Amino acid sequence: MATAYLLLAPATVLLLGMLAYPLGWEVWISFTDFSPLNDHGPRFVGLENYRHLLADAEFWRAVVVTVGFAAATTLAKLALGVAFALLLARPFRGRTLVFLAIFLPWAYPASVSVIGWYWTLSPPIPTAYSPFMGTLKYTVDGALGGGAWAFLSVTLFNIWRGSSFIGVFLLAGINAVPPELFECALLESRSAWRRFWLVTVPLLRPFLALAVFLSLTTAFADLANVWLLTAGRVVFPVVGTQAYWLAIKGGQFGPASALSLMLVPSLLAVLALLFRAFDPPAEARA
Amino acid sequence: MNPRPWWRRAGHAGLLLVATVYCVFPIYFMFVQSLKTAQEDVFGNPFIVTNPTLENFEELFERKGQPRNFVGRALRRDYPFFVWLENTIVIFGGSVAITLAAGVAAAYALGRLQPPGFRWWRRAIFATYVVPHTILFVPLYQVIIRLGLDDNPVVLLLVYPTMALPFCVWILSAYFQNLPREIEESALVEGASRAAAFYRIVLPMSRPVLIAAGIFALGTIASDFMIASVFLLSEHNQTIPAGLATMEVALDELLAVAGINLMAIPVVLLCAVFARGYVRGLTAAMIEGA
Repeated sequence: MATAYLLLAPATVLLLGMLAYPLGWEVWISFTDFSPLNDHGPRFVGLENYRHLLADAEFWRAVVVTVGFAAATTLAKLALGVAFALLLARPFRGRTLVFLAIFLPWAYPASVSVIGWYWTLSPPIPTAYSPFMGTLKYTVDGALGGGAWAFLSVTLFNIWRGSSFIGVFLLAGINAVPPELFECALLESRSAWRRFWLVTVPLLRPFLALAVFLSLTTAFADLANVWLLTAGRVVFPVVGTQAYWLAIKGGQFGPASALSLMLVPSLLAVLALLFRAFDPPAEARA
Repeated sequence: MNPRPWWRRAGHAGLLLVATVYCVFPIYFMFVQSLKTAQEDVFGNPFIVTNPTLENFEELFERKGQPRNFVGRALRRDYPFFVWLENTIVIFGGSVAITLAAGVAAAYALGRLQPPGFRWWRRAIFATYVVPHTILFVPLYQVIIRLGLDDNPVVLLLVYPTMALPFCVWILSAYFQNLPREIEESALVEGASRAAAFYRIVLPMSRPVLIAAGIFALGTIASDFMIASVFLLSEHNQTIPAGLATMEVALDELLAVAGINLMAIPVVLLCAVFARGYVRGLTAAMIEGA
């Protein structure tokens, strides 16, 4: 067993060092009034920060936007991903090419494609496409409020990239299912729609669950990227960016820490539910 | 099965076309822009390039060392693009290697040696994905200053693996767990050490899963923009994404687009080469439905 712990050490030390201390600090600070603007050090204030947040209308607005963004992008990614995987499931001529095309959005590094995407949709200077994009931007902003287009474009980007990942991931899932099961299903029911819900979805359940979780936890990276890139000009507040704003601009680390931790319990609850799908207990598995 | 009617085949082909265009168009668009001259960028058709040129790519490297000159009233910067490229290659390569090494070790322990509570250990590693990243870098900065790695690219070698490790450990350990025990045991009976059995038998068998983990790690690492731009402050320490973000978009739009393509093309090619292995590896890891 000593070997086992020795082998686990590098990964565990990396994760603990880079996540546990920072997370612990954040939890502790969320119970204090720590701010670089204060003369005194962090002072324990109990649940004060959390109580303030729960009474704050801005916070609830951010929660609504956050949950809406996560739910909408995840649903869209799942729908597109399933469609891609089913399109590629059966062999046909040119399948490799289509597969590569669908793999591309994820393989294209998001760190730079999000920059390109953002600049293309909100061009900074006259290019051949800026008049069109400008019109689009002002139409959307005019209809939905300032910053709506930037937010929408990040949403589209997130769906574009995520659907590629989920599509390829589910294709791997379909490949893992013995083809006889699908053939049996063909005899059982003539309705493709029924077969999809009664056979394909249950068989892909572990893959779908894993994909949903990865989608939920990575949904905000793109938003944060663009948000930093534009120095906070994307106005629609989500919990993460609001916390950043409070901490970096306002120096209010206590409330900011509390804010950024608010969604962790619900994410953990979702994960606990999803574990039942993709990591069933050993007895149930055999 | 009887042949499908023509309209169903046409529908299938149509959907494939839509999917392909949807996936590829943004990438095509960004690529086309990078081949344009400044004149065509402003007056040409946005969707095609009539006089393709590589001058944007050349300028990206050549501007280095030029005296700063004025365009209009704005200052035109030079960019140490070659340094950024070097940093990016070293950091990406190093992070993927560290992720794989730490991931394989942990996955072998969890999937094969199975210490008590290994299921919870594995779940705990996976659950680190719920940690919110937005203001985490404030305390992370304290750790990094304590380690004396302030404004040092090595930081990313420590942070990037933590972003890819949980998923890599998950699929690798699922694979190791499902691998029949007899495979190793026969070698152990022959007198091979556990390490030799792993190195000579298990590792070569795991190639597809290793590829899947490696490609996932590369894709995850290459998508980070936030951590690189928060932790790498001086110009000569930055990676391409962090550096590109500091460019003056209004002045150097074409250069920036060229930089985007220059970073993306090698990554995309690498992923494309291993794409099949990636899918096969994910399938192999999950074949038991775990």
